[in-house]
Amino acid sequence: MDLQLDSESYWNRSSRAAFSFDDEDEVDLAPDLVSNGILADDTISEASFNNSVALNLSIKSILSEEALKLVLQEQALDDRVLPKGVSPEEELKLLRRQLQSTLYSPNLEATAQKLLQGKTAPLEMFKSLHEKQQLLDTLMAQGGGHAVITVLLFLKRTLNTTQFHGILRERPKALEQYLSYLKESGDLAGHIELLQLFGRHQEAALKQFQAALASGDTSTRKKHLQLLVDAYATAGVGVIPLYEQVFHAALKMQQLMEKDSALGKLLRDQPTPVEVLYACCQVNSNWKEQDMLKPVSPQRFAADQQISPAQYEWTALNERAQAQAYADLECIFERVPSWHPLKTKQFHISFDLTLAVLRLYELQAPSTVLQLFLSKMGNSVEKLALAQRVKCIKAVIDAMAGLKQQQELQQLKDTLPERSEEQFYCENALKSLQSKRWTTDNIKLKL
Amino acid sequence: MDLTLDKKLQGFQLVAQEKLCSILCSIPGKKELILEPDLIKPLEHVVTASWLKLKGIQRIYKHDAAQSLPRSADQVHIYMIRSVLGTFQTLLKQLQPVASEEMPDISMKMYHIVCVPSCYSYFQTLLEQAGLYGLVQLHHFNWDFIYFDQGVLSLELPNLYECLYLQKNTSPLPAVAQSLRLLQMICGQPSLILSFGHHSSQLMQMAKTLGKLPAPTNPPDYGGWLVIDRDKDYPASLLTPAIYAGLLLEVFEHSSGEILVDNSKNKIRSQRVELLQGKKSKIGVNSASKPCSIRLNSTSDEIYGDNRYKRFAQVSSLIHAQVKALGLELQKLNDMQLDEMHDYVARKLPKLTELKSKVLRHLNASEIVIQMMGNFRKLQTLEEDILNNDSRKRLLSEIDELLTTDGQRFNTLRLLCLLHHCVGVAPEELQIFARNYCNLFGHQELGVFQQLSQAGLLPPLVVEKKAPTKLLSNLPLPKFQQTEFQANANRLKLLTSSGDGQDGGSSSKSQSSGLQTCPSFVFNGTYIPLVAQLCSILLKINSAEELSSKLGMIEGLHLHLDSGKITPKAYASQVKLNGVADQDMFPLRLRNLFVFIVGGASYAEIAACDFVAKLTGAQITVASDSLMAGSDLIATAFNR
Repeated sequence: MDLQLDSESYWNRSSRAAFSFDDEDEVDLAPDLVSNGILADDTISEASFNNSVALNLSIKSILSEEALKLVLQEQALDDRVLPKGVSPEEELKLLRRQLQSTLYSPNLEATAQKLLQGKTAPLEMFKSLHEKQQLLDTLMAQGGGHAVITVLLFLKRTLNTTQFHGILRERPKALEQYLSYLKESGDLAGHIELLQLFGRHQEAALKQFQAALASGDTSTRKKHLQLLVDAYATAGVGVIPLYEQVFHAALKMQQLMEKDSALGKLLRDQPTPVEVLYACCQVNSNWKEQDMLKPVSPQRFAADQQISPAQYEWTALNERAQAQAYADLECIFERVPSWHPLKTKQFHISFDLTLAVLRLYELQAPSTVLQLFLSKMGNSVEKLALAQRVKCIKAVIDAMAGLKQQQELQQLKDTLPERSEEQFYCENALKSLQSKRWTTDNIKLKL
Repeated sequence: MDLTLDKKLQGFQLVAQEKLCSILCSIPGKKELILEPDLIKPLEHVVTASWLKLKGIQRIYKHDAAQSLPRSADQVHIYMIRSVLGTFQTLLKQLQPVASEEMPDISMKMYHIVCVPSCYSYFQTLLEQAGLYGLVQLHHFNWDFIYFDQGVLSLELPNLYECLYLQKNTSPLPAVAQSLRLLQMICGQPSLILSFGHHSSQLMQMAKTLGKLPAPTNPPDYGGWLVIDRDKDYPASLLTPAIYAGLLLEVFEHSSGEILVDNSKNKIRSQRVELLQGKKSKIGVNSASKPCSIRLNSTSDEIYGDNRYKRFAQVSSLIHAQVKALGLELQKLNDMQLDEMHDYVARKLPKLTELKSKVLRHLNASEIVIQMMGNFRKLQTLEEDILNNDSRKRLLSEIDELLTTDGQRFNTLRLLCLLHHCVGVAPEELQIFARNYCNLFGHQELGVFQQLSQAGLLPPLVVEKKAPTKLLSNLPLPKFQQTEFQANANRLKLLTSSGDGQDGGSSSKSQSSGLQTCPSFVFNGTYIPLVAQLCSILLKINSAEELSSKLGMIEGLHLHLDSGKITPKAYASQVKLNGVADQDMFPLRLRNLFVFIVGGASYAEIAACDFVAKLTGAQITVASDSLMAGSDLIATAFNR
C-alpha cells in the first residue's frame, strides 16, 4: 500500500468525502480509504517520515524552557491580548504601557521590532512627516521585510499623493517593494500608473502587453493590442525596437487567427508563432513556389513574424517529415543567391546539417531522403561517421568512395545481401574507383 | 545527555510541532483543517495525521481556490496557506460572506488563517479592509528548518528567490531571520559569522533587530556560519551538475525532499515545444507504467545514500552492476534445498525484494536521465567554454542553434544567462535572441527578459538614445579586460579547467582515474562552487591576516561581530591593533560550519561542501530556503 498524503484520493474538496477521525460521523469515505483504518494510515505515515517517537528525542534536550517560551511568544500575533490569570498589578502595568504607546512619543526601535515579528503595532502616533519618514527609514535600515509594506500602506493612507510619491521617489528600494505589492495584489492599473509616473514607460508597456494577451477571447485581445500599438506609435516615450516588433507581431498574429478559421482549428488557444508556422506548413500545398501574397504561406508568415531562417527551416523540416511529405523537403532549403538572381536555386541550411539528418532519422525518414541530405555534406569523414550512425548504407558508400577507401568498400560489399540494391550500388562505386585508376595507368603507359 | 549535531538538527521538527500545537490548542471547538495543496508535502515532515487528530482536527481538506467549503454551525475552519499576498486575498474573497453572517458569539472565532511561514504585518490591514477583523483570526506558523538528509536542511520556501531577486520584495526575510535565531538557540552562537551579499547582510541585521536571545546553556555546535546570496555565485546554479543528486533534480519534479519519477512526464520534456519533439511513438508505450517517488534521504534509501554525490557516469555503472548482482542472488533460489529455501524466504527475501524495488527505481530514473540529457558531453563542453570566455561570438551562435533545434523553455535561457554572467551579452544580442525565443515559446514570454535582468542574470533592455553610444557598444571588448565574475573566480581559484598545462594534465589524469581531488568534480572538473571554496578557506586559514589576504579583495563580504559588521581587512587590522592572539578567531577551534544560501541551493554545492568536509575532517551543513535545479531558478521569472 502506497497511501500518501499527497495522493488525490486522500484529500477531498467536497464536504461529503473528507478524511475523518470520528468513526461515528456519517461520512462517505473515499474508496481507497475505506479499507484502511486510521491506524494503518498512521503506520504508513510514521514509517515514511521521522516523528517524535522515531527521533527518540525530547524538546527539552535541544531547547531550554526559556528559549521555547520565547519562540512561542514571538509566534503570537497580538501582544495586546491580556493573558488569563494575570494579577491586577500586572494588568495595570500592561494597560499603562499600552496607554504610553498611544499618547507618548513614538518608539522607533520597539515599533520596528514588533512589525518585523509580524505583531500588531499601532502606527497612528507617527503623525508628522518627519516621524513617518523616520519610521520607514528605520525599518529599511533594520532589514526591511514585510514591515516596509505595512508602513507604506500607512503612509499612503495618511499622506496625500504628492507627499507619498515624494517619499517613494527618494527611496528606490521602497518603491520596488510597493510595486511588488501592487503586482501581487492584482492591482494592475495601479502598478502601470505608478511605473509611468516614475518614468518606467517600457516596463509599463510590457505590463499592458501582457494584460492584453491575457484577455479572454481573440477579438478582445486584438482590440487591446491595437490600442497598445497605436499608443506607443504616437507617444513621445520610447520603447526598444524589440518591444515594438513583438507588439506588432502579436497583433498581426491575432488578426491572422481571427481571419483564417481553418488555421485556428489546427491550433490550441494562444499558440506560439512557431506553432502557427507549423500549422501554416500543414495547410500549405505548394512548396516549390510559395505564394508570398497569402498571409498563411509559410514563408510569408515567417517574414511577417520575423522568424529566423533557422527557425523556419527547422520547423518546416519537422512538419514535412512528420507528414511524410519527403518530396517537399529540399524546397525548404532552396535559396536564390542575392548576387545573381537569374541563376538557379542553391541548397542552403542555416543550422548544422548533422542535426537535420539526425532529426530525419529520428522521425523514420526513408534511406533515400537521408542520403539526399548526407550528400550535401562536404566533409567525407564526418559524412561517413554520420551515415554509419543513421544506418544509411548508400551514404556510407558515397562517403567511402569520397575517401577512396577501396578496401573498406570491398569489405562492406561482402557483408551486404546478395543481389541487393545496396550491393549493386557498392559494386558500381568500386568499379568507378577502379576505372579511374586504370585510366591513370593507361596515361602513364602512353608516356 | 550529549546529543549529536545531526540529532539536534532533526529536533527542529519537535519545535515545529510545539509551535503548531500552541496554535491548534488555543482554538476551541470541532476543528477542520483546510490545507493549501502546496503545503501538504512539507507538512508531512513535521506532523502525521494521527498527531493532528490528537490536537483536535476532525477532518482535513485540500483547499480549493475555486470554491468555498461549507461550514456547519459547530465547526471551526482552520485554513493553512503560504504567505503569498495573492493567495491570502483569494481566501479573503472566499470568506467575504462571513462578514455579513450573524455570529452568535463574537468572541468565538470560527475561522482561522494560519500563514506559513509568517503572517505579514500588513495582512491585518487587509483583513480589516475586508470587514473580517474580529471574525477571522490570523496566526503565524514557521516550521523552520526541515531535515532532508545528513548535511542538508531546507526551509521549504520556494518563492523566496522570486520575491527577493526578481521583485525586490523583502517580505519573506523576517521569517528566515527567525529561523536563523532558532538555529542559534538550538546550536549556540558560532564564533564566526560571515555574510556575502546584500540580503545575507540584511538577514543578520534583522536577526539582531528581532531581539536578544536567552543565554546559551550548551557549548556551540558550529564554529562558523557562512550566509551567502544566491546572486554571488550564479554559475553554481546555472551549470549542469555532473553528480547523481543534481541530475535527478534537473530531470524530475521535486517536492520537499522527494522526486517523482514518471516515464512520460518530466522537467526536460515539458520545456520543449511538443510539435518539434521527435520520437512521438515512444510516448504511448511508456505511459503505461505508474510514476514512483524516490526519497532524497540517505537513511530511507540506501541506494541514494551510496550514490547521491557521485558522478553520474559512475553511478549509472554501479546501478547496472547492482541490478545484475541482485539477479544472480535471486537465482540462488533455484539451487537451494527445501529447508534452506524456507529459511531464505522468511529472513532474506523480504529485504532483498525491497532492495530490488529500490534499485529498479534508480535504474529507471538513471535511464530517463540519460535519455533526457541527450548530448551531455556537448553541453558540458559548451558550458566549459562559457566559463572560460572562449570565443564569445561562437558561443552565442551555438546557443542560438540550440534554441532552434532543441529549444528548452528554461534551460536554453539558462545558458544565455550563464554566458552573460561569465562573459557579458550586449543588449543588441539579447534582443535578437529574445525575438527568436518569443517566436518559439510565445509573445507572452517577452516579460521574462526584463525579469531576469532584475536578477542580474541578463543585461537590462534599455532604449538607445544616441548613435555614439551605439557605436561604442559595438566595439569588441579588449581581450585583457575581465568581467567581475572572472576577476573573483580567479582570485578564489574557482575555474579549474583553465589552469596551465601541467595542472590541467594532472587534473585530467586524476579525473580519468576516478579519484576525486578537487570539489570541481561536481561540474566535471570545470568549476568549484563558491560556498565550497569559502568553506575550504575558512577551515584552512590560521589567522585573520590570512583571511584578509585571501578574501580582502572580494566586495560585499562581511564578518558580523557583536559590535557590528566589519570587512576582513578591517578585522585583521583590529586584531593586529589589539595585539592579542587570543582575540583572533582563526584558526577555527570548532571545525563545523553552517552554510545558508539565500535564494536556493543546488545539489552541486551540497556535494562540493560534503567533499570539502571529508577532505578537512570537518562537518558542513548546507541549508537554504529551497533546493533548486538551474531550470527552477529560471522558471521563477515565468510566474506572473
